[in-house]
Amino acid sequence: MTSTNSTQTTTFDPEMKMQSIDLNAWFGTKQALKNVNINIKTNAVTAIIGPSGCGKSTFIRCLNRMHELTPNAKMTGQILLDGENIYDKQVDPVQVRRRVGMVFQKPNPFPTMSIYDNVAAGLRLTGTKKGKNLDEVVKRSLEQATLWDEVKDDLKKPGTSISGGQQQRLCIARAIALQPEVILMDEPCSALDPIATAKIERLVVELKRDYTVAIVTHNMQQASRVSDFTAFMYLGALIEFGPTRGIFESPKNPLTEKYITGEFG
Amino acid sequence: MSRIIDRGLEEQTVLIVKMGELTYETLAISIHGYLEGKSVQEQVRDLSDILVSMGEKVEDEAFQLIARFQPVATDLRTIKSYMKVGNDFVRYGRYALDICIINDQLNGLKECESWTRDYINEMSEKVLSMVRTSIDALKRQDILIAKTISSTEREVDKMYFDYLNKLINAEQANNKCVLSSALMTRYLERIADHAVYVCESIVYISTGEKVTLG
Repeated sequence: MTSTNSTQTTTFDPEMKMQSIDLNAWFGTKQALKNVNINIKTNAVTAIIGPSGCGKSTFIRCLNRMHELTPNAKMTGQILLDGENIYDKQVDPVQVRRRVGMVFQKPNPFPTMSIYDNVAAGLRLTGTKKGKNLDEVVKRSLEQATLWDEVKDDLKKPGTSISGGQQQRLCIARAIALQPEVILMDEPCSALDPIATAKIERLVVELKRDYTVAIVTHNMQQASRVSDFTAFMYLGALIEFGPTRGIFESPKNPLTEKYITGEFG
Repeated sequence: MSRIIDRGLEEQTVLIVKMGELTYETLAISIHGYLEGKSVQEQVRDLSDILVSMGEKVEDEAFQLIARFQPVATDLRTIKSYMKVGNDFVRYGRYALDICIINDQLNGLKECESWTRDYINEMSEKVLSMVRTSIDALKRQDILIAKTISSTEREVDKMYFDYLNKLINAEQANNKCVLSSALMTRYLERIADHAVYVCESIVYISTGEKVTLG
Protein backbone atom coordinates (compact mmCIF):
# COMPACT_ATOMS: atom_id res chain seq x y z
CA MET A 1 0.00 0.00 0.00
CA THR A 2 1.34 3.37 -0.94
CA SER A 3 -0.20 6.77 -0.58
CA THR A 4 0.62 10.12 -2.01
CA ASN A 5 -0.45 13.40 -0.50
CA SER A 6 -2.26 15.80 -2.73
CA THR A 7 -0.56 19.14 -3.13
CA GLN A 8 -3.87 20.94 -3.27
CA THR A 9 -4.32 23.54 -0.54
CA THR A 10 -7.65 23.18 1.21
CA THR A 11 -9.48 25.21 3.78
CA PHE A 12 -10.49 23.27 6.85
CA ASP A 13 -14.19 23.58 7.54
CA PRO A 14 -14.82 23.13 11.29
CA GLU A 15 -18.37 21.91 10.61
CA MET A 16 -16.91 18.94 8.76
CA LYS A 17 -15.63 16.05 10.81
CA MET A 18 -14.03 14.41 7.79
CA GLN A 19 -13.17 15.54 4.28
CA SER A 20 -11.94 13.51 1.35
CA ILE A 21 -9.90 15.56 -1.05
CA ASP A 22 -9.09 14.36 -4.56
CA LEU A 23 -9.27 10.79 -3.33
CA ASN A 24 -8.17 8.10 -5.77
CA ALA A 25 -7.82 4.43 -4.90
CA TRP A 26 -6.65 1.35 -6.76
CA PHE A 27 -6.61 -2.40 -6.31
CA GLY A 28 -3.55 -3.31 -8.32
CA THR A 29 -4.08 -1.59 -11.67
CA LYS A 30 -7.83 -1.32 -11.30
CA GLN A 31 -8.90 2.15 -10.21
CA ALA A 32 -11.73 1.96 -7.67
CA LEU A 33 -12.06 5.66 -6.77
CA LYS A 34 -11.63 8.67 -9.04
CA ASN A 35 -11.04 12.10 -7.51
CA VAL A 36 -13.68 11.76 -4.84
CA ASN A 37 -14.35 14.89 -2.78
CA ILE A 38 -16.89 14.44 0.00
CA ASN A 39 -17.39 16.40 3.21
CA ILE A 40 -18.76 14.46 6.17
CA LYS A 41 -20.53 16.77 8.56
CA THR A 42 -20.11 16.51 12.32
CA ASN A 43 -23.02 14.87 14.20
CA ALA A 44 -24.85 14.03 11.02
CA VAL A 45 -25.49 10.82 9.09
CA THR A 46 -24.00 10.71 5.61
CA ALA A 47 -25.20 7.91 3.35
CA ILE A 48 -23.17 6.61 0.43
CA ILE A 49 -25.28 4.93 -2.25
CA GLY A 50 -24.58 3.49 -5.66
CA PRO A 51 -24.68 0.21 -7.59
CA SER A 52 -22.39 -2.71 -6.76
CA GLY A 53 -18.79 -2.00 -7.61
CA CYS A 54 -19.19 1.79 -7.59
CA GLY A 55 -16.53 2.22 -4.91
CA LYS A 56 -18.67 3.08 -1.91
CA SER A 57 -17.14 0.44 0.40
CA THR A 58 -13.66 1.34 -0.82
CA PHE A 59 -14.43 4.96 -0.01
CA ILE A 60 -15.34 4.33 3.62
CA ARG A 61 -12.44 1.90 4.03
CA CYS A 62 -10.19 4.80 3.05
CA LEU A 63 -11.75 6.88 5.83
CA ASN A 64 -10.10 4.80 8.56
CA ARG A 65 -7.08 3.50 6.65
CA MET A 66 -8.49 0.02 6.19
CA HIS A 67 -8.01 0.18 2.43
CA GLU A 68 -4.24 -0.04 2.95
CA LEU A 69 -4.65 -3.45 4.62
CA THR A 70 -5.56 -4.97 1.26
CA PRO A 71 -2.54 -6.31 -0.68
CA ASN A 72 -1.68 -4.20 -3.78
CA ALA A 73 -4.02 -1.43 -2.66
CA LYS A 74 -2.97 2.13 -3.33
CA MET A 75 -4.47 5.56 -2.80
CA THR A 76 -3.71 9.19 -3.45
CA GLY A 77 -5.28 12.32 -2.08
CA GLN A 78 -6.10 13.32 1.47
CA ILE A 79 -8.54 12.35 4.17
CA LEU A 80 -8.88 15.05 6.78
CA LEU A 81 -10.11 14.22 10.27
CA ASP A 82 -10.72 17.46 12.15
CA GLY A 83 -8.56 19.13 9.53
CA GLU A 84 -5.57 16.76 9.83
CA ASN A 85 -4.60 14.38 7.07
CA ILE A 86 -4.86 10.85 8.47
CA TYR A 87 -2.38 9.69 5.82
CA ASP A 88 0.41 11.95 7.06
CA LYS A 89 3.58 9.95 7.86
CA GLN A 90 3.50 10.67 11.60
CA VAL A 91 -0.08 9.48 12.01
CA ASP A 92 -0.56 6.05 13.62
CA PRO A 93 -3.21 4.06 11.69
CA VAL A 94 -4.22 2.23 14.88
CA GLN A 95 -5.07 5.55 16.49
CA VAL A 96 -7.04 6.54 13.39
CA ARG A 97 -9.07 3.33 13.60
CA ARG A 98 -9.76 4.01 17.25
CA ARG A 99 -11.15 7.45 16.40
CA VAL A 100 -12.96 6.17 13.31
CA GLY A 101 -14.72 2.90 14.11
CA MET A 102 -16.23 0.47 11.63
CA VAL A 103 -19.27 -1.81 11.61
CA PHE A 104 -19.37 -4.39 8.84
CA GLN A 105 -22.00 -5.93 6.60
CA LYS A 106 -22.23 -9.24 8.44
CA PRO A 107 -22.32 -9.19 12.23
CA ASN A 108 -18.90 -10.44 13.33
CA PRO A 109 -18.75 -10.84 17.10
CA PHE A 110 -15.62 -12.62 18.30
CA PRO A 111 -16.89 -16.21 18.29
CA THR A 112 -15.06 -17.45 21.36
CA MET A 113 -15.94 -14.49 23.55
CA SER A 114 -18.94 -13.74 25.74
CA ILE A 115 -21.23 -10.78 25.09
CA TYR A 116 -19.41 -8.87 27.84
CA ASP A 117 -15.97 -9.71 26.51
CA ASN A 118 -16.92 -8.76 22.97
CA VAL A 119 -17.69 -5.22 24.12
CA ALA A 120 -14.70 -5.09 26.43
CA ALA A 121 -12.18 -6.54 23.96
CA GLY A 122 -11.08 -3.27 22.41
CA LEU A 123 -10.82 -1.57 25.80
CA ARG A 124 -8.65 -4.35 27.20
CA LEU A 125 -6.35 -4.06 24.21
CA THR A 126 -5.99 -0.36 24.85
CA GLY A 127 -5.30 -0.65 28.56
CA THR A 128 -8.56 -0.72 30.51
CA LYS A 129 -8.09 -4.03 32.27
CA LYS A 130 -11.05 -4.80 34.50
CA GLY A 131 -13.19 -3.61 37.37
CA LYS A 132 -15.96 -1.12 37.85
CA ASN A 133 -14.78 1.21 35.10
CA LEU A 134 -14.85 -1.58 32.52
CA ASP A 135 -18.28 -2.72 33.72
CA GLU A 136 -19.59 0.81 33.36
CA VAL A 137 -18.25 1.24 29.85
CA VAL A 138 -19.69 -2.14 28.77
CA LYS A 139 -23.09 -1.25 30.25
CA ARG A 140 -23.08 2.25 28.72
CA SER A 141 -22.03 0.91 25.30
CA LEU A 142 -24.73 -1.77 25.31
CA GLU A 143 -27.28 0.85 26.38
CA GLN A 144 -26.24 3.18 23.60
CA ALA A 145 -26.55 0.31 21.17
CA THR A 146 -30.08 -0.31 22.59
CA LEU A 147 -29.09 -3.87 23.51
CA TRP A 148 -28.64 -3.68 27.28
CA ASP A 149 -32.24 -4.55 28.23
CA GLU A 150 -32.15 -7.61 26.01
CA VAL A 151 -28.81 -9.09 27.21
CA LYS A 152 -28.19 -7.71 30.71
CA ASP A 153 -28.92 -11.13 32.29
CA ASP A 154 -26.90 -13.05 29.70
CA LEU A 155 -23.62 -11.17 29.59
CA LYS A 156 -21.59 -14.37 30.01
CA LYS A 157 -23.27 -16.16 27.12
CA PRO A 158 -21.33 -16.35 23.82
CA GLY A 159 -21.65 -13.32 21.56
CA THR A 160 -22.75 -15.63 18.79
CA SER A 161 -25.69 -17.03 20.83
CA ILE A 162 -27.92 -14.03 20.18
CA SER A 163 -29.92 -13.20 17.02
CA GLY A 164 -28.32 -11.65 13.91
CA GLY A 165 -29.84 -8.24 14.64
CA GLN A 166 -28.64 -8.39 18.25
CA GLN A 167 -25.19 -9.46 17.07
CA GLN A 168 -25.03 -6.42 14.81
CA ARG A 169 -25.99 -4.15 17.71
CA LEU A 170 -23.34 -5.94 19.78
CA CYS A 171 -20.79 -5.02 17.11
CA ILE A 172 -22.00 -1.43 17.28
CA ALA A 173 -21.60 -1.55 21.09
CA ARG A 174 -18.07 -2.91 20.58
CA ALA A 175 -17.28 0.03 18.29
CA ILE A 176 -18.86 2.56 20.67
CA ALA A 177 -16.95 1.20 23.69
CA LEU A 178 -13.77 2.72 22.30
CA GLN A 179 -15.51 6.08 22.19
CA PRO A 180 -14.77 6.80 18.56
CA GLU A 181 -15.61 10.14 17.01
CA VAL A 182 -16.83 8.68 13.73
CA ILE A 183 -18.68 5.42 13.10
CA LEU A 184 -18.49 3.94 9.61
CA MET A 185 -21.12 1.37 8.68
CA ASP A 186 -20.76 -0.82 5.62
CA GLU A 187 -24.24 -2.09 4.75
CA PRO A 188 -24.98 -2.89 8.39
CA CYS A 189 -28.51 -4.19 7.71
CA SER A 190 -28.00 -6.24 4.57
CA ALA A 191 -27.99 -9.52 6.50
CA LEU A 192 -30.89 -8.60 8.79
CA ASP A 193 -34.67 -9.07 8.73
CA PRO A 194 -36.98 -6.00 8.58
CA ILE A 195 -37.53 -5.79 12.35
CA ALA A 196 -33.82 -5.98 13.13
CA THR A 197 -33.20 -3.49 10.31
CA ALA A 198 -35.68 -1.03 11.81
CA LYS A 199 -33.90 -1.26 15.18
CA ILE A 200 -30.52 -0.56 13.60
CA GLU A 201 -31.98 2.37 11.65
CA ARG A 202 -33.44 3.89 14.84
CA LEU A 203 -30.06 3.37 16.47
CA VAL A 204 -28.21 5.12 13.62
CA VAL A 205 -30.44 8.17 14.03
CA GLU A 206 -29.85 8.10 17.82
CA LEU A 207 -26.08 7.74 17.42
CA LYS A 208 -25.64 10.98 15.52
CA ARG A 209 -26.26 12.92 18.73
CA ASP A 210 -22.88 11.74 19.99
CA TYR A 211 -21.05 10.58 16.88
CA THR A 212 -20.57 11.37 13.22
CA VAL A 213 -21.90 8.52 11.08
CA ALA A 214 -21.18 7.46 7.50
CA ILE A 215 -23.23 4.57 6.20
CA VAL A 216 -22.93 2.61 2.98
CA THR A 217 -26.24 1.16 1.91
CA HIS A 218 -27.81 -0.56 -1.07
CA ASN A 219 -31.22 0.30 0.26
CA MET A 220 -32.23 3.73 -0.99
CA GLN A 221 -35.23 3.95 1.27
CA GLN A 222 -32.88 3.31 4.16
CA ALA A 223 -30.63 6.15 3.02
CA SER A 224 -33.63 8.46 2.76
CA ARG A 225 -34.89 7.43 6.21
CA VAL A 226 -31.70 7.71 8.23
CA SER A 227 -29.35 10.15 6.55
CA ASP A 228 -28.97 13.91 6.48
CA PHE A 229 -26.67 13.92 3.47
CA THR A 230 -26.37 11.50 0.58
CA ALA A 231 -23.54 10.83 -1.84
CA PHE A 232 -24.30 8.94 -5.05
CA MET A 233 -21.30 7.16 -6.57
CA TYR A 234 -20.99 5.47 -9.94
CA LEU A 235 -17.98 3.73 -11.50
CA GLY A 236 -15.69 5.07 -8.78
CA ALA A 237 -16.72 8.71 -9.18
CA LEU A 238 -18.89 10.91 -7.02
CA ILE A 239 -21.85 11.85 -9.20
CA GLU A 240 -23.91 13.89 -6.78
CA PHE A 241 -23.72 14.92 -3.15
CA GLY A 242 -26.08 17.01 -1.08
CA PRO A 243 -28.82 17.08 1.55
CA THR A 244 -30.76 13.81 1.40
CA ARG A 245 -34.09 15.54 0.89
CA GLY A 246 -32.82 17.27 -2.25
CA ILE A 247 -31.18 14.13 -3.65
CA PHE A 248 -34.36 12.09 -3.31
CA GLU A 249 -36.85 14.80 -4.31
CA SER A 250 -35.02 16.69 -7.04
CA PRO A 251 -31.71 15.13 -8.01
CA LYS A 252 -29.66 17.38 -10.28
CA ASN A 253 -27.85 14.69 -12.23
CA PRO A 254 -29.84 12.44 -14.63
CA LEU A 255 -27.70 9.45 -13.54
CA THR A 256 -28.77 9.94 -9.93
CA GLU A 257 -32.40 10.16 -11.05
CA LYS A 258 -32.09 6.95 -13.04
CA TYR A 259 -30.45 5.07 -10.19
CA ILE A 260 -32.75 6.11 -7.38
CA THR A 261 -35.90 5.55 -9.45
CA GLY A 262 -34.70 2.03 -10.25
CA GLU A 263 -34.01 2.48 -13.97
CA PHE A 264 -30.60 0.90 -13.52
CA GLY A 265 -28.44 -0.57 -10.81
CA MET B 1 -38.30 -3.00 -19.23
CA SER B 2 -40.82 -0.79 -17.47
CA ARG B 3 -40.87 -0.55 -13.70
CA ILE B 4 -43.78 -1.81 -11.59
CA ILE B 5 -44.59 1.73 -10.47
CA ASP B 6 -44.95 2.92 -14.10
CA ARG B 7 -48.38 1.35 -14.53
CA GLY B 8 -49.71 3.12 -11.43
CA LEU B 9 -48.24 6.43 -12.58
CA GLU B 10 -49.77 6.03 -16.04
CA GLU B 11 -53.19 5.36 -14.49
CA GLN B 12 -52.79 8.48 -12.34
CA THR B 13 -51.91 10.53 -15.42
CA VAL B 14 -54.96 9.25 -17.32
CA LEU B 15 -57.17 10.06 -14.33
CA ILE B 16 -55.80 13.57 -13.79
CA VAL B 17 -56.04 14.46 -17.51
CA LYS B 18 -59.63 13.17 -17.59
CA MET B 19 -60.33 15.29 -14.53
CA GLY B 20 -58.79 18.29 -16.27
CA GLU B 21 -61.04 17.89 -19.31
CA LEU B 22 -64.12 17.54 -17.09
CA THR B 23 -63.02 20.63 -15.18
CA TYR B 24 -62.87 22.67 -18.38
CA GLU B 25 -66.29 21.43 -19.43
CA THR B 26 -67.76 22.28 -16.01
CA LEU B 27 -66.31 25.79 -16.01
CA ALA B 28 -67.34 26.44 -19.61
CA ILE B 29 -70.96 25.38 -18.93
CA SER B 30 -71.08 27.49 -15.77
CA ILE B 31 -69.48 30.64 -17.23
CA HIS B 32 -71.47 30.56 -20.46
CA GLY B 33 -74.65 29.92 -18.46
CA TYR B 34 -73.86 33.01 -16.40
CA LEU B 35 -73.07 35.17 -19.43
CA GLU B 36 -76.25 34.03 -21.22
CA GLY B 37 -78.42 34.23 -18.10
CA LYS B 38 -79.26 30.53 -18.29
CA SER B 39 -79.68 28.39 -15.15
CA VAL B 40 -77.31 25.41 -15.25
CA GLN B 41 -76.87 24.93 -11.51
CA GLU B 42 -78.17 21.36 -11.38
CA GLN B 43 -75.94 20.17 -14.19
CA VAL B 44 -72.87 21.93 -12.77
CA ARG B 45 -73.55 20.59 -9.26
CA ASP B 46 -73.51 17.03 -10.65
CA LEU B 47 -70.26 17.71 -12.49
CA SER B 48 -68.73 19.33 -9.43
CA ASP B 49 -69.64 16.26 -7.35
CA ILE B 50 -67.96 14.02 -9.94
CA LEU B 51 -64.84 16.19 -9.70
CA VAL B 52 -64.83 15.80 -5.91
CA SER B 53 -65.01 12.00 -6.28
CA MET B 54 -62.23 12.02 -8.86
CA GLY B 55 -60.11 14.21 -6.57
CA GLU B 56 -60.57 11.67 -3.78
CA LYS B 57 -59.55 8.88 -6.14
CA VAL B 58 -56.41 10.76 -7.18
CA GLU B 59 -55.53 11.14 -3.49
CA ASP B 60 -56.27 7.48 -2.65
CA GLU B 61 -54.18 6.22 -5.57
CA ALA B 62 -51.35 8.58 -4.64
CA PHE B 63 -51.26 7.18 -1.09
CA GLN B 64 -51.24 3.65 -2.52
CA LEU B 65 -48.27 4.44 -4.77
CA ILE B 66 -46.39 6.09 -1.91
CA ALA B 67 -47.08 3.22 0.48
CA ARG B 68 -46.22 0.47 -2.00
CA PHE B 69 -43.30 1.92 -3.94
CA GLN B 70 -41.71 4.66 -1.79
CA PRO B 71 -41.28 6.82 -4.89
CA VAL B 72 -38.46 9.33 -5.23
CA ALA B 73 -37.31 12.05 -7.64
CA THR B 74 -39.60 12.59 -10.67
CA ASP B 75 -41.95 9.81 -9.51
CA LEU B 76 -42.38 11.48 -6.12
CA ARG B 77 -42.79 14.95 -7.61
CA THR B 78 -45.40 13.63 -10.06
CA ILE B 79 -47.48 11.99 -7.34
CA LYS B 80 -47.21 14.99 -5.01
CA SER B 81 -48.13 17.37 -7.85
CA TYR B 82 -51.08 15.28 -9.05
CA MET B 83 -52.54 15.44 -5.55
CA LYS B 84 -52.17 19.23 -5.63
CA VAL B 85 -53.52 19.54 -9.17
CA GLY B 86 -56.45 17.27 -8.26
CA ASN B 87 -57.25 19.71 -5.47
CA ASP B 88 -56.99 22.65 -7.89
CA PHE B 89 -59.49 20.91 -10.18
CA VAL B 90 -61.88 20.33 -7.31
CA ARG B 91 -61.63 24.06 -6.53
CA TYR B 92 -62.43 24.86 -10.18
CA GLY B 93 -65.58 22.77 -9.80
CA ARG B 94 -66.54 24.62 -6.63
CA TYR B 95 -66.09 28.03 -8.30
CA ALA B 96 -68.15 26.82 -11.25
CA LEU B 97 -70.96 26.01 -8.83
CA ASP B 98 -70.59 29.36 -7.03
CA ILE B 99 -70.98 31.12 -10.39
CA CYS B 100 -74.23 29.22 -10.99
CA ILE B 101 -75.50 30.22 -7.55
CA ILE B 102 -74.93 33.94 -8.10
CA ASN B 103 -76.44 33.59 -11.56
CA ASP B 104 -79.63 32.14 -10.08
CA GLN B 105 -79.81 34.43 -7.04
CA LEU B 106 -78.76 37.73 -8.60
CA ASN B 107 -80.03 37.32 -12.16
CA GLY B 108 -76.57 36.98 -13.62
CA LEU B 109 -75.75 40.15 -15.53
CA LYS B 110 -79.32 40.93 -16.63
CA GLU B 111 -79.47 44.07 -14.53
CA CYS B 112 -76.09 45.35 -15.66
CA GLU B 113 -75.27 47.79 -18.44
CA SER B 114 -73.89 46.40 -21.67
CA TRP B 115 -70.32 47.58 -21.00
CA THR B 116 -70.26 45.43 -17.83
CA ARG B 117 -71.43 42.41 -19.77
CA ASP B 118 -68.77 43.04 -22.42
CA TYR B 119 -66.10 43.49 -19.76
CA ILE B 120 -66.93 40.25 -17.92
CA ASN B 121 -67.31 38.43 -21.21
CA GLU B 122 -63.76 39.43 -22.16
CA MET B 123 -62.40 38.49 -18.72
CA SER B 124 -64.20 35.12 -18.88
CA GLU B 125 -62.67 34.29 -22.25
CA LYS B 126 -59.20 35.05 -20.91
CA VAL B 127 -59.76 32.87 -17.85
CA LEU B 128 -61.14 29.97 -19.88
CA SER B 129 -58.12 30.21 -22.17
CA MET B 130 -55.87 30.02 -19.10
CA VAL B 131 -57.67 26.90 -17.88
CA ARG B 132 -57.28 25.41 -21.37
CA THR B 133 -53.57 26.24 -21.33
CA SER B 134 -53.10 24.59 -17.93
CA ILE B 135 -54.83 21.40 -19.06
CA ASP B 136 -52.95 21.25 -22.38
CA ALA B 137 -49.64 21.78 -20.58
CA LEU B 138 -50.56 19.00 -18.15
CA LYS B 139 -51.53 16.59 -20.94
CA ARG B 140 -48.25 17.16 -22.75
CA GLN B 141 -46.14 17.72 -19.63
CA ASP B 142 -44.87 20.78 -21.49
CA ILE B 143 -43.19 23.42 -19.38
CA LEU B 144 -42.97 25.88 -22.29
CA ILE B 145 -46.76 25.91 -22.63
CA ALA B 146 -47.06 26.12 -18.82
CA LYS B 147 -44.85 29.20 -18.67
CA THR B 148 -46.99 31.09 -21.20
CA ILE B 149 -49.70 31.47 -18.58
CA SER B 150 -48.01 34.33 -16.72
CA SER B 151 -48.87 37.13 -19.14
CA THR B 152 -52.59 36.30 -19.29
CA GLU B 153 -52.66 35.99 -15.49
CA ARG B 154 -51.34 39.55 -15.19
CA GLU B 155 -54.03 40.77 -17.60
CA VAL B 156 -56.78 39.03 -15.61
CA ASP B 157 -55.48 40.47 -12.34
CA LYS B 158 -55.43 43.95 -13.85
CA MET B 159 -58.95 43.55 -15.18
CA TYR B 160 -60.15 42.44 -11.75
CA PHE B 161 -58.69 45.42 -9.89
CA ASP B 162 -59.69 47.89 -12.64
CA TYR B 163 -63.25 46.62 -12.40
CA LEU B 164 -63.32 47.02 -8.61
CA ASN B 165 -62.09 50.60 -9.06
CA LYS B 166 -64.83 51.25 -11.60
CA LEU B 167 -67.42 49.99 -9.10
CA ILE B 168 -65.97 52.10 -6.28
CA ASN B 169 -66.09 55.24 -8.43
CA ALA B 170 -69.49 54.61 -10.03
CA GLU B 171 -71.97 57.45 -9.23
CA GLN B 172 -75.01 55.25 -9.28
CA ALA B 173 -75.30 51.49 -9.54
CA ASN B 174 -77.76 48.64 -9.43
CA ASN B 175 -77.13 46.63 -6.24
CA LYS B 176 -77.80 43.26 -7.84
CA CYS B 177 -75.50 44.04 -10.72
CA VAL B 178 -72.75 45.29 -8.40
CA LEU B 179 -72.93 42.17 -6.23
CA SER B 180 -73.20 39.74 -9.09
CA SER B 181 -70.41 41.27 -11.19
CA ALA B 182 -68.06 41.80 -8.22
CA LEU B 183 -68.45 38.18 -7.14
CA MET B 184 -68.11 36.92 -10.70
CA THR B 185 -64.88 38.85 -11.34
CA ARG B 186 -63.57 37.59 -7.99
CA TYR B 187 -64.32 33.96 -8.92
CA LEU B 188 -62.72 34.44 -12.32
CA GLU B 189 -59.62 35.90 -10.72
CA ARG B 190 -59.40 32.91 -8.33
CA ILE B 191 -59.90 30.41 -11.17
CA ALA B 192 -57.04 32.12 -13.00
CA ASP B 193 -54.87 31.71 -9.89
CA HIS B 194 -55.57 27.97 -9.82
CA ALA B 195 -54.68 27.68 -13.52
CA VAL B 196 -51.34 29.25 -12.59
CA TYR B 197 -50.87 26.76 -9.72
CA VAL B 198 -51.46 23.87 -12.15
CA CYS B 199 -48.80 25.28 -14.48
CA GLU B 200 -46.37 25.74 -11.57
CA SER B 201 -46.89 22.06 -10.69
CA ILE B 202 -46.04 21.04 -14.26
CA VAL B 203 -42.74 22.94 -14.05
CA TYR B 204 -42.03 21.33 -10.67
CA ILE B 205 -42.69 17.81 -12.01
CA SER B 206 -40.27 18.33 -14.90
CA THR B 207 -37.49 20.30 -13.23
CA GLY B 208 -37.87 20.01 -9.46
CA GLU B 209 -37.90 23.80 -9.29
CA LYS B 210 -40.62 25.54 -7.32
CA VAL B 211 -41.40 28.51 -9.56
CA THR B 212 -43.91 31.33 -9.22
CA LEU B 213 -45.67 32.03 -12.51
CA GLY B 214 -48.31 34.40 -11.15
